[in-house]
Amino acid sequence: MFFYSLKNLFSPPATLEKGTPPPKNYRGTILYFEETCIYCKKCEMVCPPGAIIFTYPEDGSKKLKFHYNPYLCIYCGECVRACPKPGTLVQAETPSPPATADQKPNDQWFEIEKLAVESKKKWQEARKRMREQKNKNQQ
Amino acid sequence: MGKKFVVPFGSQHVALPEPIRFVFTTENEIIRNVAVDFGYVHRGIEKACMSKFKYTQVPYVVARVCGLCSISHASGYCLAIETLMDIEVPKRAVYLRIIAHELDRIHSHLFAVSHLCEVAGYENLFMRVMRDRELVMECLEIFTGNRVQYDFVTIGGVNRDLTKEVYEELKPRLEELEKRLLQLKEIFEKDYTLQMRWKGAGVITKEMAQKYNAVGPIARASGLATDCRVEFGYFPYEELGYRMVLYHEGDIWARNMVRVDESLVSIEIAKNAMDNLPEGEINVRVRGNPNGEALVRWEAPRGELLYYVKGNGKPVLERLRIKTPTFSVIPVMKELYYNQPYALVPDITISFDPCLSCTAR
Repeated sequence: MFFYSLKNLFSPPATLEKGTPPPKNYRGTILYFEETCIYCKKCEMVCPPGAIIFTYPEDGSKKLKFHYNPYLCIYCGECVRACPKPGTLVQAETPSPPATADQKPNDQWFEIEKLAVESKKKWQEARKRMREQKNKNQQ
Repeated sequence: MGKKFVVPFGSQHVALPEPIRFVFTTENEIIRNVAVDFGYVHRGIEKACMSKFKYTQVPYVVARVCGLCSISHASGYCLAIETLMDIEVPKRAVYLRIIAHELDRIHSHLFAVSHLCEVAGYENLFMRVMRDRELVMECLEIFTGNRVQYDFVTIGGVNRDLTKEVYEELKPRLEELEKRLLQLKEIFEKDYTLQMRWKGAGVITKEMAQKYNAVGPIARASGLATDCRVEFGYFPYEELGYRMVLYHEGDIWARNMVRVDESLVSIEIAKNAMDNLPEGEINVRVRGNPNGEALVRWEAPRGELLYYVKGNGKPVLERLRIKTPTFSVIPVMKELYYNQPYALVPDITISFDPCLSCTAR
């Protein structure tokens, strides 16, 4: 024990240096590719912390908007596994950049959460109007 | 007969890793009465699991009950749901769970050992154990993708597979760790200072362990053969080279040695499981909602962990009850303090490896 400790005095530190890249297989940020998305919202439903939210367009079209909060995400990868179209959601091996105070990530996210509820109502109304229009046209 | 003094220990104290409060009534250094109070880190996890989260999301929530034994909580819950819903987990997933579980046990045990060294005043050995623990932390980081919260176990299997690259990274690290642990064991067996401090101090007899229902390494250090890993046979531990570590002294030294020996056994189990990994799926799809109730007793690093789950056919559970190992050992801990010198309090407390954030949830 004594010689081990003496040797430690002259050996480099065991801790990793700052800026060391994460190891392989690291659980990093979720990336989203809109081209293949079918807007089934399965990822939103399975996400444990609720870090994925879809907001609805006001005109009633089916093209939803994807929002992702990397600071709320726990990087479990549940959304990637739930996605029926492989390649739409991908888990990268790099961590997301740290948030700074001037970005106000929380405030932005709260607004999106509110927007999701409000836009869904408007979207449903728009869909209803579209359906009525369609029925009239058919008659 | 001396004058009586009231000495509070905690809720914040240098020797304590987590907040628990003891109020000792001492008489000339000798403790005559103890009052225990915990619950400083209550987070309402049980209630959150029953109201806000679906049952498929709960493994990720209960994993946050404890930082050191997160995988035990997740697999305990998953086992309960799987027995309730009659899900058969693939054999490969079972083996992967065993590997993650045993690696987690090693790092939790080494943390306890190192902390005990620090409390005994042996700072140098504390640093050494922590440095060796870094090897198993690296293993877990490579294996599960994260250092502390693994999020590895889900209902019906596991999330990540053990590829050949990962296997080649893990194997030399575990062998190196085994070598270092054997060196550490020699130190604990022969070191004069530690023997003087730990041998014969804070003795739990077998009768006492039985009477106050001690669990885990504390019971095994007193000669009480109890281990939920083999008692219930959820996982095939016996075919992977499991053997029970038993010491009969019941003192602080024995509790420490149980942890060191168990880490060695865990390395063996993890290595055997990695070598004999069966082929096949790692996950099965889960359909439907839980209906009925199930109770699972599962061995966390600190002892028996109890999960009770009740579902009523809805996606949100009706009841989830967690009983943690530290909660079970608090009665015997309290009993042990009587007629001990006050100077032994930090050693006795830390030799139980208390996890209060588990207990308060």
